[in-house]
Amino acid sequence: MDDLDLLKKDWKKQEKNLPHLSYDEIYKMIWKKSSSIVKWIFIISIIEFLLGAVLNFVLADEEYWLQMEKYKLTEFIIGVYIFTYAITFYFIYKFYMNYKKISSTDSASKLMKSILRTRKTVKHYIGFILISSAVVFLVTLYLMLRNHATTAEATTTNMEFDMSQWFIFIGGTLLVLAILLGIIWLIYRVVYGILLRRLNKNYKELKKLEME
Amino acid sequence: MNKELEHQFVTNLEKHQNIAHKICRIYTNDKDSHNDLFQEITIQLWKAYPKFRGDSKFSTWMYRVALNTAITLYRKKKRSIRTQDYDSVHFKIKSEEYNDEVEQHLKLMYDAIRQLNDIDKALIFLYLEDKNYAEISDTLGITEVNARVKMNRVKTKLKNLINP
Repeated sequence: MDDLDLLKKDWKKQEKNLPHLSYDEIYKMIWKKSSSIVKWIFIISIIEFLLGAVLNFVLADEEYWLQMEKYKLTEFIIGVYIFTYAITFYFIYKFYMNYKKISSTDSASKLMKSILRTRKTVKHYIGFILISSAVVFLVTLYLMLRNHATTAEATTTNMEFDMSQWFIFIGGTLLVLAILLGIIWLIYRVVYGILLRRLNKNYKELKKLEME
Repeated sequence: MNKELEHQFVTNLEKHQNIAHKICRIYTNDKDSHNDLFQEITIQLWKAYPKFRGDSKFSTWMYRVALNTAITLYRKKKRSIRTQDYDSVHFKIKSEEYNDEVEQHLKLMYDAIRQLNDIDKALIFLYLEDKNYAEISDTLGITEVNARVKMNRVKTKLKNLINP
């Protein structure tokens, strides 16, 4: 007899050795808390969305607004805020729609795809936050320097940078910014990778033949 | 939620619980993990139950949700202390039915299944459960042709594991 036939025959025999739970035991179980990956993804994503929004509020205190007032940047910053929140709401909406589509009654492939899609939305959101933060930071810096130059008093002129100093200043700022954002992105990727490692692996395994 | 639905669900699950236990047996190595996964499957089934229309059989629907839970939804808990391993408790093969050689061979095969990846395990499970390719392709969401090719590869892989 073939190995697998033998196995199949034994598999059927093993049924009588399986545990058996009573009606009451099962009834109790349906009220237990789930620890599914979808739940974790939902919680983590919500935290990420909140973090983006909260960070904006916390960082922009009264002093910050006074500073912006001084450099005549209030309108620019308000514009940036409106834009950022509009985009954030768009991402939350997209996330929610994707999340709602996750269904354990779909086929394995479809289920994995919809989970990965949901998570991807949040990944894009984080990417957007990082890139837009960098852009806003640089534009603000530029505008501050420009507006400062036009309002600066004569006494500060002797502190003006020459060409090479400007070069070092701008280069240094860009470098620090890039490193900082790079580190945040890396940490994010690691957390994301750990959470979805198994899912990604299984999805690739399932789809392998189609890509061959 | 209404009592009628609860009662209906628990009765159905009690009757078909073997499906979930068998999946737990393929995907876990010890008793605690088995119970954990069984519980998660139960929760996922219950959550999806309001959408179960009854146009398919409860068991068919259960295969899908339970496998999805094992492959995709369930997050393994980290265990510092290894609880009793299956080998000593389960898969007890009655020695009156088999001779030692067969018994040893079966043990090897069950060990080999545990070494497979999640998707291969699902394929072997569906094979052992006598599911046809249409059902397998439907459950996993791959084409029937791919299901066939994959199944053949898993069988070969399994044979190679047993007879290196």
